[in-house]
Amino acid sequence: MLFISRKKRKMAEITQALSMTPVDVGALRRMAISEGGLLTDEIRCKVWPRLLNVPVGSILEELDKVERENNKDYNQVLLDVQRSLRRFPPGMPDEQREGLQEELIDIILWVLQKNPQLHYYQGYHDIVVTFLLVLGERLATALVEKLSTHHLRWCHFFSKVCSNFLFFFNPEVYDFMQQAEVGTIFALSWLITWFGHVLSDFRHVVRLYDFFLACHPLMPIYFAAVIVLYREEEVLDCECDMAMLHHLLSQIPQDLPYETLISRAGDLFVQFPPSELAKEAAQTAASTFKDFELASAQQRPDSVLRQRRKEQQQQAPVEAQRGTMAVVQPTARRFVRLAVMGLTVALGAAALAVVNSALEWAPKFDLLFP
Amino acid sequence: MAKQYDVLFRLLLLGDSGVGKTCLLCRFTDNEFHPSHISTIGVDFKMKTLEIDGIKVRIQIWDTAGQERYQTITKQYYRRAQGIFLVYDITSERSFQHIMKWASDVDEYAPDKVQKILVGNKSDEEQKRQVATAQGNKLAKAYGMDFFETSAFTNHNITESFTRLAELVLQANKKDLDVLRVSINDKLNLAALEEEEGVCDSSSDAQKTCWC
Repeated sequence: MLFISRKKRKMAEITQALSMTPVDVGALRRMAISEGGLLTDEIRCKVWPRLLNVPVGSILEELDKVERENNKDYNQVLLDVQRSLRRFPPGMPDEQREGLQEELIDIILWVLQKNPQLHYYQGYHDIVVTFLLVLGERLATALVEKLSTHHLRWCHFFSKVCSNFLFFFNPEVYDFMQQAEVGTIFALSWLITWFGHVLSDFRHVVRLYDFFLACHPLMPIYFAAVIVLYREEEVLDCECDMAMLHHLLSQIPQDLPYETLISRAGDLFVQFPPSELAKEAAQTAASTFKDFELASAQQRPDSVLRQRRKEQQQQAPVEAQRGTMAVVQPTARRFVRLAVMGLTVALGAAALAVVNSALEWAPKFDLLFP
Repeated sequence: MAKQYDVLFRLLLLGDSGVGKTCLLCRFTDNEFHPSHISTIGVDFKMKTLEIDGIKVRIQIWDTAGQERYQTITKQYYRRAQGIFLVYDITSERSFQHIMKWASDVDEYAPDKVQKILVGNKSDEEQKRQVATAQGNKLAKAYGMDFFETSAFTNHNITESFTRLAELVLQANKKDLDVLRVSINDKLNLAALEEEEGVCDSSSDAQKTCWC
């Protein structure tokens, strides 16, 4: 009973905020973040455009027809949309679903055509389908266009600091993950689809969208970090092996306590705002580099490695065949670890490059991935 | 407790988006086929244990996103592979033409002694065929690879192709295996041997339960 009355009260507050002139967007944001989010799709249709600052008056009555033939993205979009059945409600009649899939293709192609700086990447369709199912074609198109040119590019731009985030929140988990060389690819699909690709219950997906739409564009990264930290014990119990850890982390438990995690992500954001992280990330990078220089000067790891390899090859040809592992001795381990860290950073940057060039932004990435 | 496997190695599935990489894998590891499979975003893997010549071979098969935009990511995993499937779709001429590009990437990024086989998937869709079996054979021959036409849908040649690649990898590493079998007489982790810092706690990971 209590819950019902709370829900009613929340609905009344949302209606109140919407009826103000100008609309009380601050109140709407609070509603979208607080427990239960925006409650119904009907409310989402009214509030999501406000959260993204899309004037409802500007929404087109009808989309211009998009040419499908000779469209550079059409084949890939079609392949992905055909394979998105799981994103539609299980009971939906085939005919209705097929109609929505056609609309999904149209929206994606329309946004890409209107914004030639954007490029399609697999996973984009997971974002668009969420908006389509909640808002319908016209409204979804307007919001997705806005999101693609704002939130997403920001999130992707900063996702390279994702691995560093964990360091500040929990160095033990971070060290463990670094040691396993797991990188951040396990979270790639989470971030680029706002978890739409990995959560099977649509209610959880839209609840998270309420939260992300109301927050800073980097919030999905904080949320990803919160999930990893929530599973701290499992992570630390896992074999310290890239494959095992990747597998464990990429499988999101479907019964996560979403409301609790949303609060924690909010707390983390307040505790470590993006500006703070950027500062610390820069410092860490600098100190890592100093360590690296020191290690190089004292140990001259290159020559140490070369010397050892030569000795080992002479003494034990079999071991040499097994690969470089056999010749990396403890004195050189530090060097290897630093190199591995560099690789992980590169991996993060690579992930960034894929999506960033897709949603385009930094011209130098376009050169790398035309 | 009996150990669950003698040797572990990593295989990698490569090929254009939509050729059926994930379906091949699901058919092989779980004997399932989902026509409505979802796109793979990033990378993931599944495992299965085979017995070849009395050796329990645990294979870890990495599945990758096919879209070109993801290749910066997937290439990072090439260096860890001992065997690679180059997969095309027999109903897509384009996916067949792209095999050349995939093969040259493998040459560039994978270890030198990596084993490769060519797979033409969707062999059940004869009426939509665009790539003749002879073309596949010819290309495989040119590259010195084995060739299989498979169907994840009808379960045609699935076990055969995976087992074949596993055998090739075993053969390629046989010398090391024999030597090590004598000296260590314990679970071997080829995957770890190929890395710089790969010494694992062998007792604990041999007892890990299989979640495939």
